[in-house]
This record gives sequence, structure tokens and C-alpha cells, in this order.
Amino acid sequence: MSELERAWSVEKTTIRAHARCLVRLPSDQLKIVELRPGGSISLGKFGAFFVDDVLGHKYGQTFEIVDDKKVIPVPGMTYTGSKDAEDDTAAAESADSAVADDLIRLALKSGVNNQEIQDLGAEVQKLSNADIEEMKKQGSSGQIGQAIIDKIIQGHDSFEKKTVFSQQKYLKRKQQKFLRRFTIDYLGASQVLQYYYGKDPGRVLDLSEESLGIMMNYANIMPGGNYLLVDETGGVILYAMLERMQGKGRVTVVHENEHPNHIVLNNSIFSAEAVDDMVKTINILNFFEPEVVVPWKELPEEEIEEYKPSKKQTYFRRKKRALELQTVVEIVKKGNFDGMIYASTLSPSTAVPRFIEKIGGSRPIVVYSPYIEVVSELSHTVSKDLRVLAPSIIATRVRPYQTIPGRIHPLMSMRGGGGYVFWGTRVFPKEGITAIGRGRKKKKLNSEEPVEV
Amino acid sequence: MSFLGYKSIIEEGDLVLAFIGRDSIKPINVKAGEILNTRYGAFPHDIMIGSKYGAQVSGSKGFGFIHLLYPTPELWSISLPHRTQIVYTPDSSYIVQRLGITAGSRVIEAGTGSGSFSHALARTVNETGKLFTYEFHESRYLEAKKEFEDHHLPNFIITHRDVCENGFDIIQNDETVDVSADSVFLDLPSPWTAIPRLKSVVAKGKRIGICCFSPCIEQVLKTVEALEAEGWTGIEMVEVAGRKWEARKDMVRTLDDALDRLRDVKRRQLEGIEKVKLIRAQRDNTPVESADVEVSSGSKREATEEADSEEPISKKARGFNPWGRGIRVREGDEAYQWFNVTRGEGEVKSHTSYLTFAHYLNFDDE
Ligand SMILES: C[S@@+](CC[C@H](N)C(=O)[O-])C[C@H]1O[C@@H](n2cnc3c(N)ncnc32)[C@H](O)[C@@H]1O
Repeated sequence: MSELERAWSVEKTTIRAHARCLVRLPSDQLKIVELRPGGSISLGKFGAFFVDDVLGHKYGQTFEIVDDKKVIPVPGMTYTGSKDAEDDTAAAESADSAVADDLIRLALKSGVNNQEIQDLGAEVQKLSNADIEEMKKQGSSGQIGQAIIDKIIQGHDSFEKKTVFSQQKYLKRKQQKFLRRFTIDYLGASQVLQYYYGKDPGRVLDLSEESLGIMMNYANIMPGGNYLLVDETGGVILYAMLERMQGKGRVTVVHENEHPNHIVLNNSIFSAEAVDDMVKTINILNFFEPEVVVPWKELPEEEIEEYKPSKKQTYFRRKKRALELQTVVEIVKKGNFDGMIYASTLSPSTAVPRFIEKIGGSRPIVVYSPYIEVVSELSHTVSKDLRVLAPSIIATRVRPYQTIPGRIHPLMSMRGGGGYVFWGTRVFPKEGITAIGRGRKKKKLNSEEPVEV
Repeated sequence: MSFLGYKSIIEEGDLVLAFIGRDSIKPINVKAGEILNTRYGAFPHDIMIGSKYGAQVSGSKGFGFIHLLYPTPELWSISLPHRTQIVYTPDSSYIVQRLGITAGSRVIEAGTGSGSFSHALARTVNETGKLFTYEFHESRYLEAKKEFEDHHLPNFIITHRDVCENGFDIIQNDETVDVSADSVFLDLPSPWTAIPRLKSVVAKGKRIGICCFSPCIEQVLKTVEALEAEGWTGIEMVEVAGRKWEARKDMVRTLDDALDRLRDVKRRQLEGIEKVKLIRAQRDNTPVESADVEVSSGSKREATEEADSEEPISKKARGFNPWGRGIRVREGDEAYQWFNVTRGEGEVKSHTSYLTFAHYLNFDDE
């Protein structure tokens, strides 16, 4: 395996030292962490865990903090039934199984419907917050969480009157609050998006997983491709492209500031060398006016020899950057990119038409915006531009359902936004054909007007 | 030509998607001497050979134009010959993204059907991955097999098999093929009968993702029960709605114009009445009350017609006609004012299928 292949062979199965991964907490909170061997990672009020305890396990594994940062693997985030407890020896060994059985026993005593439940709010719960806090102080063992839940159930006058369904809901809520469990997941592009979206939807331009997915497909992202990208999501789109390309091909990122903002890549599964190798960056000025790029002038060696070390360093750094820029300028001059993804608040209708010349024949042009008006304006602009074939605007929305057998229905709420995707194909109009507006009916059936299609 | 890469110039033997119109994309295998016949004329393959992908070409008689496109799975899915219902891009792209399928993934797909999703999967898993696809309908299997070979998909094994009866294990040259799939997609009528047969073909020591694609809620119910019984967790069902819009222009019609038009109509009606009176007066020799209307000569018939209905006026585009009534106006005609709008497609796919996702932590007996 070459150095680069190694850099790209991301371990997707086993949790290894130094990996960046996603930690899911019972409260549905997410964390991106680096697993430094020998270290420990804090999960806030859920406690902390020793990194070494999770290494060697598989992505998707759930753990429970049992004793001062020590963790053991457990079957899942919540107790779902006796099956889990039987199947997993680790869980059976922990004292939890007895508690789990209790919960199931309790669950079986449930009322058939909620008829007898009275809405007394906090009064049905005899255990006070002070009691709970007191219990928490008594120890950090993993069983404490379960013990608290146990006590809460005992203190809940009408728990038995609830239906199995609402008991489960109640237990899940309580478990989320008190169980010291977490799952370690592989940090794929969807997880990265979920994490940053959770922090601030605006920072990822309100991008949804379904919009990200359809952009990857429409742009035909695959290993070996040579793509153009404008990405204002902090690098989420770039991350998804790199994930699909798995080390082969190139992404030329065009940005409007001094440096591109790829904050997402700072904590990623990709090594810095791998990213450097595949991702080339250039600002819009250098992209559109390459003549402003001053060619690098090598100084005589004797002169450099006389430099102080710090100055020497600066010289070599500047040289490296200048040569890099030169390479990117060459790439841009060649053009013929295998497609473009554009997701920026810089108005697409002003920018995208200027990029078209650089895109190869029959390659896709994919533009994302949180607003339909923005992609619509672009669509109007290019509808007179014979270089873009069949421009259309697509929005996909995923509607989640509750999937409890017998109670299947769409969830009461779902996220509202998710963005709009423009998709068109770069083509070469035949010379001599001028744009003809839409709506003029074909006079002869056999004279297809280019804009009609 | 291959779905796994790009090239710039069309050569003999290449697959070209001839874009005739939005709803008419024809896949053609370019062969010297052959001709593509469309309702816009004939296009000899010879003019395609040597052309660039993306080029617009005219027919043999110099009129009619088509574009020559490079095949991508997304264009293919809107141009392929339908042998079954197919999975479209809004669904397939979400499934791929959510299951985390990338280059190098090993994916099971059953049934193959028209191979729409197969193409998208083969592209994404690429050379380092593998697609295992199954179809029990013999002619569909044969057609799909030939098609995948013609398209040079290098990374698939298609198996003629009833997976619900006989599972997913593959034997080639007396040896069991190592399937070790990390993702599973089931698009068949009874996925719950196939789910128990997956154990031997999913990768060991891994988190496996599954998506079952079923149009009916009853199927979802059975699928969920089977997944639970087989130890799959994180079960979630969703629906994907894809909507499409096109940029169009809608004429701006202002209230002032509408008022002016009515004023104009009224004025003309009055004119007409005056005209009639005048003619009558001339005939009867009686004095006219208000004679400040200029009267042009004309027959009585014409005058009454004008006075009685506004239709003939606008048909002849006379009078104040701010929106080109009765004239054919091209959308976007600069003589008029337009509003940029986005128009939704006429018919929307409001339900394709339910997508039931789950994962299986295959951590035991590695
Ligand atoms: C709706 S189609 C699949 C379409 C496909 N996903 C596509 O995008 O083109 C379902 C296919 O599954 C096949 N099928 C149904 N039951 C099957 C079984 N038990 N084993 C194998 N194939 C089966 C049918 O013959 C049919 O071709």
C-alpha cells in the first residue's frame, strides 16, 4: 500500500486509536471526538469515559459508564426487552439485567388504555428532584442511573395505569435522562451534517441529508472525477464528495475569501495529507483572472543562504504556496471539469454562468440554495443560455413515521426546510443557433427549437 | 464509455443518450451506418462519431436538433426501457446517502427489476466495491445481465434466483462467493420472507444497514416485525417526496390596465350607440341629441356588432389591448411585462414507496 492509499484507507468497521468519531448520547446530543489512546473523554453531565475501553470494538457499539470512567459494551441505548439481556453476555454480567426484567414485569402490568390516568402533572411523582439529586451524589456507578429510574417508577402512582406504549415512552424519557450510555458511530458525511446542522442550521445553509444525497447523485460524484466546488457549508459537501471518491480524483474548491472555510475537515476521518492531495483551492479572483497571479521568482541560492532561519522559513513557505497556486491555475486553465457543485450565498445567477465555460461537455451542473427564489432566478437566467440543457429545480423531503406495529403514522412534526437543488447539463450549442423564447409554437413539426427541449 | 468514468469524444460502440426532449431521451449504441429516427428527423450515427459528448447536432436534412449526452445513472433512470416499476433518484439518492454507501461498499439488491437503481449503485460502489443483485424473473434477469455487460459495469454479480425461497448465497465455479455485504436493499413484494435469509451473506463484525422499499403499509408492518424478530435495530420508516419545478414567466397584469381597458370598452360602446343613433337619425331625419361623436361611414351591421359585444373588438386586437388578447404572445415577449415564476410539474409522484431502514450489529462470532 502506498503512503497515500494508506492515508485513504479509512477504517469503517473497528474503532481504532486516534480515530475521529461520532458519540451519540441518550439525550440525542451528538459529539465529534478524537480517540487519543490513554486519554479520557468527557460527556458533560453523563460523565466521562476511558478511550482505551472503547478501542477495538465496532462502530455502532453502545457503551455504559459503570465505574469512574470505566465502560462496558451494552446492547443498546435503552432496554427494549428481555431478548437483549439474554443475547448479550456483557449485559447479563452487569447487574442491569435484573433491573431490566423488573421493567418488563412492570410493563406487563400496564393498563390497557389511558382512561384511568389523571392529569396531575408532578403530583403523581412522589420522588422529588432533591431526592434524585441526593441519589446521584451517592455514587457514580452505572447502576445509579437505573436505580433512579427504578425509584421514579415506584414513586409514580399511575405508572401501572399507563399503557405499555406510554410506559415505554416514559421509560425511554427517563432512561435518556439518567442512563450513562453512549454509542460510538462512524463519522460519515451524513453524521457530520447531522452534527453541524444540530449546532446551527444556518451554518450548513439548512442543508438536509436528502438534499446532500441527491446532489451527490446528480453531480455523478465517484472516484477519479475532476470536480469544481463552491461550498459555503463549512465543507460538509466537500466531505461528502471525498467520502464518495475514496481517495481518487480531485476537487477544485473556489472560494471568495483569502482562505476557504473547511472547518468540518478539521475534525474528520480524512488525514491532512490525503485532503491536501485531493483538494485544490483557489479564490474567485485568481480563478477568473489568472493573469493577476504573479509567477514565482526564485531567488539566487546564495541570497537565501544568508537569510536568518525565520526569514528562510517564510521564504520557503511562500514558495510552496506560490507553486501550489500555479498548479491550481493550470488546472483551471485546462478546464473541462467533470461537473460542478455550487452552494454559496454568492448569487448563483451572477456566478454560475461564468463558471460554465470551465465545465466539460455533458457534465452536470448542480446548484444548491436554501431558497427556491434563488435557484429559480438562476433557472431563469440560464433558460436563455444554450449552454445549459434542461435546467430544473428539485426539492426532496423525507417524512419520518412512527413505526410501532399497530400505531404506524407520520410523526406529528418534521423539519421544514432542506433546500432546493438546481440540476442542468452542460452542452455545446450548435453554431448559428440563437436563443428562441419559449412559447412560440413549432410551425413545422420537424423544426425543433432548441429552447423547447 | 462506461458509467464509471467520463470521456469527451464519442466513438463507435459507445452508448449515447440522445436528448430529444425532456420526456424523450433515447439510449443508442453508436454504430457507423445506422440512423436514429425521431419525430424531428433522422440522425445518422456517422455524424455522432467524433462529436463531443454534449454536442448539439442537426439531422441529415439540416433541420431538427438533438443533444448527445454522456450516460449517467441519473439520466439513464429517466431514459431506460421500463420492464418493471423503478426506483427514481429522489428515493435512490437518499437510500445511498443514508446507508452510507460509498466507493468500496458491498451491496445486496433484490430484485434487479429494470436495473435503474443497480446503475446508481454500481457507479457509487465503483471498482473497489461490489453489487450483488438478484432477479427471479428469467427474461428480466437475462435482459439486465446483458444490459450491465453492454454498459461495462465491472463490479456486479447478477444471480437468477428467488431470494425469498433460496436465499442469497452465491456459488461460482463450485466455490461459495464471499458476499460480505454491508448494505442491503430489498425491493420485492415480500421482503419479510427474505430478511431471515440474510445472516449468511452480511459482513461479520460490522454494522449492516438495510432499506426495504414497499408501497403498502401492510408490507411495512410485516417487514418491521421480521426485522425485529431477526435482531435488527434502529428501525425507522420514512417516505421521500420529490417535487420538481421549472422556470417560467407569468404576464404582469395591473389593475390600472384593467381599468383602462374597461373605460376603453365603455367608450367604444358609447361610440357605437351614438353611431346607431346617428344612422337612425339620418334615416328618419330626426335631430340628434349629442352629435359630438365622430362617425365614420359604415354599414349598420358592422356598427351594431361592435356595440353589442366586445369580443370582435379584442379579436381584431382593436382598442386598448394591454395583454395581447386574441394575439399569440410569446412567453417573455419584451413588449409586455413579465413576472418570473417557478411552475411545479403537472403531475407529482405523491407516493412511491415506504422506506424502512434498520441496522444490524453483526458483532458476534467474527
Ligand atoms: C419493482 S422491481 C425492482 C425495480 C428496481 N429496484 C429498479 O430500480 O429497477 C421488483 C423486482 O423484483 C423481482 N422479484 C420479486 N420477488 C422476487 C424474489 N423472491 N426473488 C428475486 N426477485 C424477485 C421482480 O421480478 C421484479 O423484477
